[in-house]
Amino acid sequence: MDRLIGTRLARFLIPAVFLALMLALWEFAVAAGWLRRLLFPPPSRLIGSAIELASVGVPVGNTLLYNASVTLARILAGFIGALVLAIPLGLLIGSRPLLDRATQPIVGFCRSVATLSLLPLALVWFGIGETSKIFLIGYGCFWVMLSNVIAAVRLVDPVLLNAARTMDIPEHRLFMRVVLPATLPRIAAGARIALGVGFMVIVGAEMIGTVTGLGALIMEARTFYRTDITMIGMLAIGILGLVLTSALARLETRLMPWLPRGNAEAG
Amino acid sequence: MEVANLGMNDRPMRSGAGPAMLAEPMPDAANGGTDPIIRIAGVGKRFASDTQGSEPVLDAIDLTIRDNEFVVLLGRSGCGKTTLLNIVAGLEKATSGSVLVANRPVTGPGGGKGMVFQQNALFPWLTAARNVMFAAQSRGQSKAEAAALAAELLRLVGLDAVGDKYPSELSGGMQQRVAIARALALDPAILLMDEPFGALDELTRNEMQDELLRVWQVRRKTVLFVTHSIWEALMLADRIVVLAPRPGRIVLERSVDQPRPRSRTNPGLLALHEAIWQALQAR
Ligand SMILES: Nc1ncnc2c1ncn2[C@@H]1O[C@H](COP(=O)(O)OP(=O)(O)O)[C@@H](O)[C@H]1O
Ligand SMILES: [Mg+2]
Repeated sequence: MDRLIGTRLARFLIPAVFLALMLALWEFAVAAGWLRRLLFPPPSRLIGSAIELASVGVPVGNTLLYNASVTLARILAGFIGALVLAIPLGLLIGSRPLLDRATQPIVGFCRSVATLSLLPLALVWFGIGETSKIFLIGYGCFWVMLSNVIAAVRLVDPVLLNAARTMDIPEHRLFMRVVLPATLPRIAAGARIALGVGFMVIVGAEMIGTVTGLGALIMEARTFYRTDITMIGMLAIGILGLVLTSALARLETRLMPWLPRGNAEAG
Repeated sequence: MEVANLGMNDRPMRSGAGPAMLAEPMPDAANGGTDPIIRIAGVGKRFASDTQGSEPVLDAIDLTIRDNEFVVLLGRSGCGKTTLLNIVAGLEKATSGSVLVANRPVTGPGGGKGMVFQQNALFPWLTAARNVMFAAQSRGQSKAEAAALAAELLRLVGLDAVGDKYPSELSGGMQQRVAIARALALDPAILLMDEPFGALDELTRNEMQDELLRVWQVRRKTVLFVTHSIWEALMLADRIVVLAPRPGRIVLERSVDQPRPRSRTNPGLLALHEAIWQALQAR
């Protein structure tokens, strides 16, 4: 049995069988009347709804794929925008101790502000259009990313710099030759955390002032008492998150082959 | 006078060694006519941030090391060995005194002072071979030359097959071998080694000592080697210099005249061991 657990097939099969059992239990619990059908639509019903959502698009005629792509586009816009700003800025702040010291409280504070509490402000500043949504995602991603990049520079092992110095690398070239490659793993880890933040923010950001996106779908479904749609929407966000995170992890292993295996998947 | 000086310093100099070197002090005649390559004179060190009392970390250290000599600095932890080595390397500034390497004052790191650090200092994003090439290319070698040199040096330190492995895939002993190869790739005039085997288990450590002596006999270098292990010092050194802490100072200097490879049962070494043991008790 122990030897079985290690195999590749088993690694896939064991959770799959467990999941199937849980779903069967759920189905049975609804059929037996232990759970109310309206509040806990059974898996069989969810499959039907998923097909309905994917083809016709309920409640307002946008298909599931369309909503998912809108959400994905908003997340990527905010996430990539945040990365583009936070990486150079973080590298700069991290390599100037004075700047680092000066900005520490601001970065810590802005990072701790619950992003969605800015929703009313974002609406006032940017209106109810795309900008306010991308701003919120970008805000959440930016500060997480910034503090991670700063920490990455701060944590570069000084012995690596000294080693390069003994090899006649001049001070102004240490950044490109040592600091940058040394910070890459932590920057990548920061990006993964930031992406997670983006996914947390998106649903809230899409709950007001839009009828497109998975967050809007979930909210709309509530007004129609369609708990099944809410669940499908949740599921779709989960899958989107999983796909994006593992794509990022794969990119990481590709870009940084020196990292011990499993490092990227862990965080 | 100047002509004599030039004659006695007739060793290959790195670029930048102009006629100014003629004005540097004469080599010490007491060293049997061999050039002193490192001259540590009255070096003291006090850290601004130091909280441990008023005694300096190093106080008036005088030490002259001949070309190709293998000198071991021995002392309990915290007695300033790393600090002294960093000062010689140019990574740290002395508060007082001066260090000359090849008759030129040390003003900074680089310039042919190879260093093997106490902790793993390989670049984790480069393979073993690339780490060695980094050093070779930093002194102007082409990529092809550097690759050839890296292969040669990795073979020299007993690592033929792991050139394309990353440091994280190597054992501690292998990492330090790569670090030694990397330092040698600088073709340094002097090799500074800070407890390079300190993190290794005793068996690996003994093997590495043998390896190092073998490498040292192939590529003659001046070595300044730091350790807190008496036996490591006895196995490796031409000369052992014992430091005592606070103020960091030299309390004993002994030449080890036994031929290598040395045996731990050698009565001469046992007597030396006892003398060093006594000296190490100094506070
Ligand atoms: N950067 C520093 N700032 C303040 N004190 C230091 C610093 N580096 C070393 N010291 C102190 O100098 C003493 C000698 O340190 P070190 O040279 O590392 O000793 P060793 O290598 O012999 O163990 C220790 O007491 C240590 O606390
Ligand atoms: Mg030390």
